[in-house]
Amino acid sequence: MSTLKMRYTLTQSQKMMIFVLSMSLYGLSNMFTELIPSIQLGPVELSVEYFAFIPLTLCMLFHPLYAAVGAAVGEIIFGELMLGQFGGLGELEKFITFSLAMYTAGRMVSDPKNRRQVGVAAMIGVAIHQFLSSVVDIVKVWVGVEELEAVKGLAESIVVIEGVGFLNDVLFSGILFALLPTLYLVPRLYGKIEPLLGMKPRERNMKYASGTWLSPKLVIGGILLAAVALGAELVSESGWSIGEFELPWAESNEESMIWLSMLVAAVVAAVVIISLLRRAKRKGQQAGQLDA
Amino acid sequence: MDAVKRALDRISVEQIKLELLGTAYNSSSTFLGKLDPRTLLVWYLFFAIVPWFVYNRTILLGMFILMVITTVLSRVSPYILFILCFGLISQIGWLFLLSLFFGGGIESLLPMLTLTLKLSVISLASITVFSSLDPERLSDGLSSLGVPDMFAFSLSYGYRILPTLLEEFHQILLSFRLRGQRPLKHGWLYCRTAVYYLRIVVLVFYPLMLNTAKRSRTTIEALETRGFSYALNNPKVKKLKLSYLLMKWSDWLFLSGSCLYITLLFWLGYLHPNLLY
Repeated sequence: MSTLKMRYTLTQSQKMMIFVLSMSLYGLSNMFTELIPSIQLGPVELSVEYFAFIPLTLCMLFHPLYAAVGAAVGEIIFGELMLGQFGGLGELEKFITFSLAMYTAGRMVSDPKNRRQVGVAAMIGVAIHQFLSSVVDIVKVWVGVEELEAVKGLAESIVVIEGVGFLNDVLFSGILFALLPTLYLVPRLYGKIEPLLGMKPRERNMKYASGTWLSPKLVIGGILLAAVALGAELVSESGWSIGEFELPWAESNEESMIWLSMLVAAVVAAVVIISLLRRAKRKGQQAGQLDA
Repeated sequence: MDAVKRALDRISVEQIKLELLGTAYNSSSTFLGKLDPRTLLVWYLFFAIVPWFVYNRTILLGMFILMVITTVLSRVSPYILFILCFGLISQIGWLFLLSLFFGGGIESLLPMLTLTLKLSVISLASITVFSSLDPERLSDGLSSLGVPDMFAFSLSYGYRILPTLLEEFHQILLSFRLRGQRPLKHGWLYCRTAVYYLRIVVLVFYPLMLNTAKRSRTTIEALETRGFSYALNNPKVKKLKLSYLLMKWSDWLFLSGSCLYITLLFWLGYLHPNLLY
């Protein structure tokens, strides 16, 4: 076949170069952001949360998996261990959420010269990371406080604090230190930095050789579902009863309602599974044609 | 206004460099620092997980007392302790204020006090352990407990490359400042100056990325000529490297002492669950 699609493969040492590059750069920037003071306006904190543009840029230019993991390791080593403020197991959660978010952002970009794609991916990457870490913080308080139900207002207040923090981090830090620098850096560095590592630049629409199952769609979909679930849980906890509606005849035959909803769920699940299987099959056929 | 000025003074690059190098290369000779890294890591693992699931205040208080003792033993710098206390107090304080707003009362303070106790046990444990382990021993301990060797390598590499990176960052920053002009007026709340510096710090990363790319290629090529990735996957090399780790009698003493204390504590806690408020 003449139009054989090139796969983006790297040698072992090229992977390590990307890892080391991402680790040292993001680690260095992390040391500075740890030391830059923040402006506090009441519970709202205007702070330079992190220089997310560094891992974002590298994830878009190189293989996102190694760049993302490298950046997360760099944060732990430079920003935490060396400054003597290592949080232990809490860092594991940061590691996972951060690398997942950066990886997703990197995977979303198929053409580093396309500014709109780069910008959207940068913002989504930051939003995923901040959302996941606020959820983790909220869950921490819920696990840590025994009589959460008994304490009036605690559940709501933690959600408010985390929500404000989330908005601040996405809108303030996200735009200033993720979106704008990434838009500036990615098209400039593209084609310049890769030869220094002894590799070809990523070509347009190149496919990755590994990790294809963890697609951006899967991650974003999962997070949206988690958000919906969390929101529903919150609403039902606080008793605001926004999403609660009762059909007039539901009370009498609750049994049948349960069966009905189960049926609907089963149908939805079946449709999703069948469509996924079909898609996988089609993709497999295409790949087979390519390999032949 | 003074606070802003002081803060800006603090972020002179030279100052940061000194402070960082001081913290990073501070080798410890405390009692805890002489223990085997594996002992400390296992000990830490217990105190990082268990407090989350303990709601008994007597047990938590007992753990807290133990943590205070080990923190004193490991001579943690007062600066870090101050940051820790400040963080805990401000977080809990804001939570309390907002829960008042949502209709809670003074009685909502007590469960939050329990949370504070929990968080402080966990953070004191991590501070004690990780400030008394120097990087070399920490990475060896981690890799003997099964953490990927790549992490251990990154740790030593990070410590080695940090001074060079900082030097380079500083030089590029200075050249940017030489070629540009800083704002004539500081502006409202030093806004203009802050924006100017933040912009430069972001721009500096453009040349820095290119330079670091070159450097990491050299590093990896040098490593590969010495068979680094072969050694990384070879169990014999690992065994040879970790052969110096030895559990001494002081390690066993420390572990068994902690176990005894925790057992007694749980026993006491179930007898008197409400010793404290």
